[in-house]
Amino acid sequence: MGKTRNNIIKQICPFLVPPIRTIIRSLPVEILHKIEEIRLRHSRPLIVYWAGGEAFLGKKGPVLTTGEAYHVFGEDLEKTLELISSYSLYAFEEELKQGYLTLPGGHRVGLAGRAVLEKGRIKILRDINSLNFRVARQIKGVGERVLGFLFDRQTWRIYHTLIISPPQGGKTTLLRDLARLISDGAGIMGQSGQKVGIIDERSEIAGCFQGIPQLDIGMRTDVLDACPKAEGIMLMLRSLSPQVIITDEIGRAEDVQAIAEAVSAGVSVIASAHGSSLEEICQRPVLGELLQENVFERLIFLNNNKGPGTLEMIIEGEKGLPLYSARYGGEERAK
Amino acid sequence: MICLKCLGAALIITAAYVYGNGISFYYRQRVQQLEELLIGLELFYTEVSYGLTPLPRAFMNIGARLKEPVGAIFCDAAREMQKNRGLSARECWQNALKNSAALLSLSPGGSQLLERLGLAWGKGDKNDQLRQVKLIKELLRQAHREAQAELQKNDKVWKYLGLLGGITLVIFLL
Repeated sequence: MGKTRNNIIKQICPFLVPPIRTIIRSLPVEILHKIEEIRLRHSRPLIVYWAGGEAFLGKKGPVLTTGEAYHVFGEDLEKTLELISSYSLYAFEEELKQGYLTLPGGHRVGLAGRAVLEKGRIKILRDINSLNFRVARQIKGVGERVLGFLFDRQTWRIYHTLIISPPQGGKTTLLRDLARLISDGAGIMGQSGQKVGIIDERSEIAGCFQGIPQLDIGMRTDVLDACPKAEGIMLMLRSLSPQVIITDEIGRAEDVQAIAEAVSAGVSVIASAHGSSLEEICQRPVLGELLQENVFERLIFLNNNKGPGTLEMIIEGEKGLPLYSARYGGEERAK
Repeated sequence: MICLKCLGAALIITAAYVYGNGISFYYRQRVQQLEELLIGLELFYTEVSYGLTPLPRAFMNIGARLKEPVGAIFCDAAREMQKNRGLSARECWQNALKNSAALLSLSPGGSQLLERLGLAWGKGDKNDQLRQVKLIKELLRQAHREAQAELQKNDKVWKYLGLLGGITLVIFLL
């Protein structure tokens, strides 16, 4: 927890304008410990969020009414944008198109503004009116609970796995920890670490800053940062000989083709997708196709019931047998 | 007594000559500094269009390749940016200009152009950035042409004026 406070003070505050920097630095330790997001919205109060809570911030700390809160203005947003882009917006056009920038430490700044279109696609975001500093948190150990269900104990092969949860359900955190555990090969995997390739299209899994992973993703892991998934998977297969490929938020037709290539090349795939139930996923045109073909041997469902990353169920992909279900008190039915 | 008078006359003439030369040197410096600035903007164009180099690093690279005091402006601005004091690019540039102000020989128009550059740094996407710098480069080129014309007009005038002024003063005093 103390690490989160230090992360905010040392890694995020230098990118805030001095008035907001001072406000954040003067926050009580108990709030600094739990902050997940710092929101700067044009002409609106400065707000910090944490799991299940929020606070308006005034010049002397949390306040009860919006009238007392520090209101963020255009100059604050403009300067903050200069600071997070290292005074070089021109160097981050691709990130601006995607709507985020990554900071040292793997923290991300989400952007909202006016989208400039070219041929029907976003060319760049202009007139930024909202910034969302998302504090990167690596929760080590969340993957240990599920890893035992994800590999063949005789061949040590990792099963093709799909992690499903609603947004902010903990998918990326689980993917990151699985990458670390499989790569390092510690604990349940014995010492047999495997070569892992992460295709991190949105720089969320490894939290790369200028191409360098900022979060612990394991010693045998290669990362293709900001790379489209389909192209990244093919590139990874051709040149980096991974044993396991990890990627997040699959859903496009080309992703499915690339995953099929990886599977036929004998590489294990662990991916994630937004969703809340098996039925919902099955109805989607692309993901449904993958599930009908029984590509995924394990399906992991997460939810927010007891906070992000609550393990709801693990299903055996082909027969649909539940291997773990929180409904039965976490009873492990089969191994 | 005559020796003393001759010495005094020589001193007056030398001082007047040095003064005239100093003014002439100021015009030459102005032209050189504008040339350095134009080279700096050309280098910036290359840094951004081919390397997408972040501004602080681009400024350091440019500053290292330019003569003083123009090189120092770029290096100082880069250092200001790297201090993480929460200043905008414009404020960093202005601070750097203040540091070198005493060494600059620019006309008021040239100085205003330098300040305007501060508004352009780091703004917009690559095309916007290059467009803004190109515009200021054009204005600087115009200022350079004017400075060259002034140099041609004033260089010899001030040199001779200094010398002749000194001689005239000596004649009056004698």
